Amino acid sequence: MKLLALIKKEFYRFFRDPRLIVTMLLPGILIFALYSILGNAIYSEEEEARAYRIYLQGESSLVTVLEEVIKESGDTVEFLPLEDEESAKAEIEEGEAAAILVFPEGFDETLLMGVFGETKPAVRIVYDPSDEASMTFYSIASATLQEIGSRFEIAPQSVRSEPELGREVMTTILPFIIVCFVFSACMSVTLESVAGEKERGTLATVLVTSARRSDVAIGKIVPLACVSMLGALSSFLGIALSMPKLMGMSLGFLGTYSVWSYILLLPLLLCIVPLIVAVIATVSTLSRSVKEASAYTGVLMILVMVVSIITSFVPSFGDWTVVVPVLNAVVYMQRILQGGLPVWQSLVSVGVNLLYTAVLVVIITKMLSSERIMFGK
Amino acid sequence: MKDIVVRADSLHKTFTLSRRQRKLEKTGETKKVAVDGLSFSACRGEIYGLLGPNGAGKTTTLRMLSTLIKPDAGDASVMGHSVVKESGKVRDCVGFMTSELKLEKFFTPDYLFQFFGAMHGMSKDKIAERKRDLFTRFGVNAFAGVKVGDLSTGMLQKVSLVISIVHDPDVVIFDEPTNGLDVLTAKVVTDFLMELRAMGKSVLLSTHIFSLAEKLCDRVGVIIDGKMAAEGTLEELCGGFSLEDRFFSIYRDLKGDVL
Ligand SMILES: Nc1ncnc2c1ncn2[C@@H]1O[C@H](COP(=O)(O)OP(=O)(O)OP(=O)(O)O)[C@@H](O)[C@H]1O
Ligand SMILES: [Mg+2]
Repeated sequence: MKLLALIKKEFYRFFRDPRLIVTMLLPGILIFALYSILGNAIYSEEEEARAYRIYLQGESSLVTVLEEVIKESGDTVEFLPLEDEESAKAEIEEGEAAAILVFPEGFDETLLMGVFGETKPAVRIVYDPSDEASMTFYSIASATLQEIGSRFEIAPQSVRSEPELGREVMTTILPFIIVCFVFSACMSVTLESVAGEKERGTLATVLVTSARRSDVAIGKIVPLACVSMLGALSSFLGIALSMPKLMGMSLGFLGTYSVWSYILLLPLLLCIVPLIVAVIATVSTLSRSVKEASAYTGVLMILVMVVSIITSFVPSFGDWTVVVPVLNAVVYMQRILQGGLPVWQSLVSVGVNLLYTAVLVVIITKMLSSERIMFGK
Repeated sequence: MKDIVVRADSLHKTFTLSRRQRKLEKTGETKKVAVDGLSFSACRGEIYGLLGPNGAGKTTTLRMLSTLIKPDAGDASVMGHSVVKESGKVRDCVGFMTSELKLEKFFTPDYLFQFFGAMHGMSKDKIAERKRDLFTRFGVNAFAGVKVGDLSTGMLQKVSLVISIVHDPDVVIFDEPTNGLDVLTAKVVTDFLMELRAMGKSVLLSTHIFSLAEKLCDRVGVIIDGKMAAEGTLEELCGGFSLEDRFFSIYRDLKGDVL
């Protein structure tokens, strides 16, 4: 009953205070706004002079027009005859060439004489949407050609299949970003609620009652974890919604994961929230003031961020990672996003993280009973 | 003899000073004996005052009695429960008031009363009944729905007092009841303490204000350097002198002519 009252109080405190709700949801909204602006800026930004290498097949007077447009913008373009499409594609993927441009036989004549029948001739452009130069060339070319006439079509073709591109971006940075946002969501509520209450002397008021110390600890961790999950979710949505703009890609590939992927992904994501809340609560209980606690938490945040960014550079970890808190969630979220289904590793990771959380709750309970920590000067 | 509700039995408390504290107090000592073998007893229905100069160990003693901190040696019992072994039981029969214990500004007196009632394991009905009684008796009803942060100091004091006795404790322990309060708010507090005595509760308070002790206390214990220097009813202790004069002579006897 006492535990219930403690949990209820924490929720009440949160949901009746508009300020707290705003601080929780604001990051997500800000991220969305910021990334959308950033995404737009990246694609409209004037770049320094580029030298495009384009493989060309077929002939057209439009090529000279295109050349001129590009030269006007200060860049240079070099057209090479297309011999082997596969090796050209490989060059595009490696970023050495920008695109392949294919005009059908007798393109100019067809344009002059008009089109007979339903099918318009199509100009094929092969490019790499994940490469900036290639992407820019593609937008310039398609815009220029479209301006000239509507008697033909443009057939864009990516060297990468769409899901692969999305996956690559998602797997390398998404788990990292998630951890960062989970951490900052946990930080804002936990510091205020634990270190704040300790500093203001309101935690001591609860400790002179006969409420058990373990109830006080759990009565903090559970509601704070729930609230942090909301904050993390808001940030997560902010990223997810602005990702297409930022990356210039669609989220269609998300549909390529199986239901099981999502079923595994969710607990992995959620299990780090109580763990991080517990870590910050531990630090907060030890600290004398919110200021001190946030200094320590800042160091912790950097540590966690470094650990999770490492996973973006080191491609494969052994299964020993299941026992490393937070890192395990990052690694297996990555693996799932890559298309894998590491079932037992994910489940063990969730279990391990919850175990660490429980251990921390015990430690907090011990600290709440320690007069040196709670009432030392 | 009336029945004894609080009995301290040679309580000892030594603090280890951190480097920061040593600097603050300008001392090279790493240990500070705050309470040094203190024994006394307080009886039912009386106001017992611990009287002593700054740093005498009053707050430390009261904290040990309310189980916030543990004695290094010795023990104390409150309503027959040991503060060392049965701290939970002691907490349920003690109401502790001190300026260090704060109420969260965000909540209303109404909510906090309910919350702390629940913290002491009281049933909803019991809490409601107690609230009606106490809020009316101490005039809290008028601002029961106002956030604690918006209350005046006097109101806040009333609310803190009422909440500290939500669980109807037999013993109320009060550290420096009128410290930093204006005369009006101080009167709220002293009236409250006398009301408690009238209700048959036992009150244990600490103060360094002699007039307050003379006005309120049935019995006083004079603490100097963590030790009990003199104890008794006001008449026994003073023997016709004022409490202040008596204190100076006790202090002189103990510490030599340092004043
Ligand atoms: N947590 C602590 N750590 C170290 N020293 C402490 C601690 N608490 C109290 N002391 C020291 O113990 C001694 C007794 O302190 P205490 O607060 O009990 O005195 P007091 O009688 O309440 O004095 P005051 O009238 O100033 O409130 C003081 O010298 C104080 O500095
Ligand atoms: Mg004191």
